[in-house]
Amino acid sequence: MSQAIQSEGPAAEFTRPLLLTPGADRAGWLAAKAGRAALLLVAGASVVAVLLIFFFIAREAIPFFQERGLGEAASSTHWYPEDATAPQFGMLALIYGSVSVTVGALILAVPLGILAAVVLSDIVPFAVRQCVKPVIELLAAIPSVAFGVFAVKVLAPLMQERLGLPTGTNALNASFVLALMATPTIVSVAEDSIWAVGRELREASYACGATRAETLLKVVLPAAHNGVIAAIVLGMMRAIGETMLVWMASGNACQVPAPWWDLSQSVRTLTATVAGEMGETARGSLHYHSLFAVALVLLVFSLGLNLLTERLLSKARKSAGAHA
Amino acid sequence: MIEVNEMPQRKVLAAGTAAKTTDVKMANYVPQAAGPEQQLPAIIRADRFSLYYGSHAGVKDITFDIYPRAVTAIIGPSGCGKSTFLRSINRMNDLIPNTRAEGTLCVNDVNVYDRRINLANLRQQVGMVFQKPNPFPKTIYANVAYGPRLQGVHGRALDEQVEQCLRHAALWEEVKDYLDRSALGLSGGQQQRLCLARALATQPNVLLMDEPCSALDPIATAKIEELIISLKDEYTIVIVTHNMQQAARISDRTAFFCLGELIEYDQTKVIFTNPVRKQTEEYVTGRFG
Amino acid sequence: MITRGLAVTLAAAFVVLGVTAYWAQAQTTRPSMPPAAAASAPAPKAAPMDKAALQIDGSTTVGPIAVEFVEAFKKLHPDVTITCKQTGSGDGAAALIDGRCQIATMSRFMKPEEFKSAVEKGEMPVAHAIAMDGVCMIVHPSNPVKALTIAQVHDIYTGKIANWKELGGMDAPIVVVSRDTSSGTYETFTHFVMGKDKLFDKVEYVNANPQAHARVSTTAGAIGYVGLGFVDTKVKALPIDGVMPSRKTVQAGTYPMTRPLFLFTNGYPKLGSVEHAFCTFYLTEQGQKIIEAKGFVPVTSY
Repeated sequence: MSQAIQSEGPAAEFTRPLLLTPGADRAGWLAAKAGRAALLLVAGASVVAVLLIFFFIAREAIPFFQERGLGEAASSTHWYPEDATAPQFGMLALIYGSVSVTVGALILAVPLGILAAVVLSDIVPFAVRQCVKPVIELLAAIPSVAFGVFAVKVLAPLMQERLGLPTGTNALNASFVLALMATPTIVSVAEDSIWAVGRELREASYACGATRAETLLKVVLPAAHNGVIAAIVLGMMRAIGETMLVWMASGNACQVPAPWWDLSQSVRTLTATVAGEMGETARGSLHYHSLFAVALVLLVFSLGLNLLTERLLSKARKSAGAHA
Repeated sequence: MIEVNEMPQRKVLAAGTAAKTTDVKMANYVPQAAGPEQQLPAIIRADRFSLYYGSHAGVKDITFDIYPRAVTAIIGPSGCGKSTFLRSINRMNDLIPNTRAEGTLCVNDVNVYDRRINLANLRQQVGMVFQKPNPFPKTIYANVAYGPRLQGVHGRALDEQVEQCLRHAALWEEVKDYLDRSALGLSGGQQQRLCLARALATQPNVLLMDEPCSALDPIATAKIEELIISLKDEYTIVIVTHNMQQAARISDRTAFFCLGELIEYDQTKVIFTNPVRKQTEEYVTGRFG
Repeated sequence: MITRGLAVTLAAAFVVLGVTAYWAQAQTTRPSMPPAAAASAPAPKAAPMDKAALQIDGSTTVGPIAVEFVEAFKKLHPDVTITCKQTGSGDGAAALIDGRCQIATMSRFMKPEEFKSAVEKGEMPVAHAIAMDGVCMIVHPSNPVKALTIAQVHDIYTGKIANWKELGGMDAPIVVVSRDTSSGTYETFTHFVMGKDKLFDKVEYVNANPQAHARVSTTAGAIGYVGLGFVDTKVKALPIDGVMPSRKTVQAGTYPMTRPLFLFTNGYPKLGSVEHAFCTFYLTEQGQKIIEAKGFVPVTSY
């Protein structure tokens, strides 16, 4: 019996060859290598583009720092770049403006956004979520200038009448509208990650006798913290980088209000300064270079914030005991 | 026949079910699951219980009793509703939208589908271990401590309870030096035992197990089975399994489900050696399923 | 394996090809407009009127006039292609000097450094004053204050006067609104009012005339300034030093805050060219009507 099998050769007839011909083998190897190299090139291009932007801004900012140094920019609140006799380039008020509206926006948007994300993923019926989520994502696409018009035409007069503030275009207005604008982003990203936690962990928590609130707070949100933090960072980046809206809503008064936490006063952000003043500065002037210096400060700022959150993130990851 | 007439409202198998089968012995069938040695009253009682997903019945007209301090296995082919029934006992099906229950399903004489049920207390006392190990992405300690912390246990008492539960789940020796490491770093078998420890830590009376070994290798399976046998003196264990050898090895009683209906429920040895119904016999001997 | 590798290679090759092609194109088009030498000749070659292309760039104040000019101009010369951008006086000047446009619209005169860089490139910018603009101080219509002097406006914008009651008005803080520091209107304003003094730090900035109008018309305690063309019934324009801003007082130059608006070209445009026709359009009756319609004051009086 066994002899018969041996004599009959292969057990089955494979109609297509299982090995590549030498030529095809080499061609395939080459194609794969070339493809990988080309893709690397494309991927590298984006990194290079970012570096180039950084380089360009730094190059245009350097003449400013060469002439004025760092001290004045970091210590003074007086920003009078166009003064004919003694221009002043104190950036503190601008930095304060950016920080105050961003922090204000986050204080409003983060709790609201995460709450909305939790409600969408865990509280309302699935069908409602499927309808509401795209609408919220659509909100994220509203151009910021539309929010700006809302801030100037609706919110500012409202604040003046209802809150009795002398001016309606102020840090609070900018924070509020920035929060409105950043919330859809936060909701969308946070909801995705909360949703992705999955039924298994929720069931495990319920099976331990946890209520829905306990499950959400102690299991679901901690398990989704990566995405939630990413959502906050995205919201923050959107807020700190926003230009048109703050330019319209914040009033652009170049001051650090007294007391410093008074959000009802006008402030000016780094972004608004660059956008508002770049248009008509003479190229090559000190003012022109100073605006690049402001842009560089902004860039360093958001880069630093990004790194900080990345740091916090990895720490949170460790303390959450996630698998390395 | 006489016995059936004596307790008509607790007929274990609905008349409709019997009529559908071609099994001639059916008319005389009365479940003997309680057995002569059974002293304690039933802890879980299903009476004409059905659970619908939308319009589709996951289980229908289930009537049977589960007794304390014993292992009850539920077997049956895929999609027979055995998991659905198990997950109804602690209302875990609530997470699935559009479910609807009919009839009663009592735990300790309280209908769990009563509108006034305290779900947190129910689930704390009816613990569950799932098919796939599902530890929280937290430390080993935090996983076991999760339930007790919800009940307000802190400090030394918590430490002791965690240790005791890990010992109970035969995991203590393996993890005692790594309690602050992530539970996700454990092997599949260890994770499942951790989930068992977590379930024990809420100090339940009933332990529901939904195919707890289906994702495990034979050695891990053997460990879990050993545990189940050692736990049955203290807990009422209901285990769903598609592994008939497992049911035979560890359970005292076995219920056979098919197509959402309870076909037969009896002492395990009866089910596997001398089942009343032909369907059961075909399933346990491997001729279908 | 082969097909997948090939597909990847092909996809990558397409991307690389696209980038290269674009780059190559950029390389070939750029030398045609060298920074100094080639463009030093009268840059916009006096093209025949038909099928000529005209680029206009510059001030957001003069922009609306230029846009209307273009509309009217297109009806007269349907084959001329004109694009009109409104980026700012500084951008307009830079574009003119770089040869990116043939006409710059500016709400201020060219600065010395702009002239300098133009001369270095062999250009000689020429100004055409096409209209007059009065910078008006505006307040909320409910404000009882009836008139201001330049000195009072100066004190308001330096923070010395902070409440309307100091000017005989209601007891309310003054919300001081200014145009952005790079606008031509701001320069005109500071030229006439501020002298060497700086605006104090509570001054709010807005980046366009309509926005200044919106802020003042919705804020009871606000004061701001806009071009004469933006004064309407929703805001109240105040007489300055006893002169009410109006077409008459601006054209005559008796209103103290009056400025001319310019078109700039590189050299005086060749007679008969599109540029020439465009730069003299303000002298026509139609041009005057357009300037009036936009709220500015024409230099002509037909």
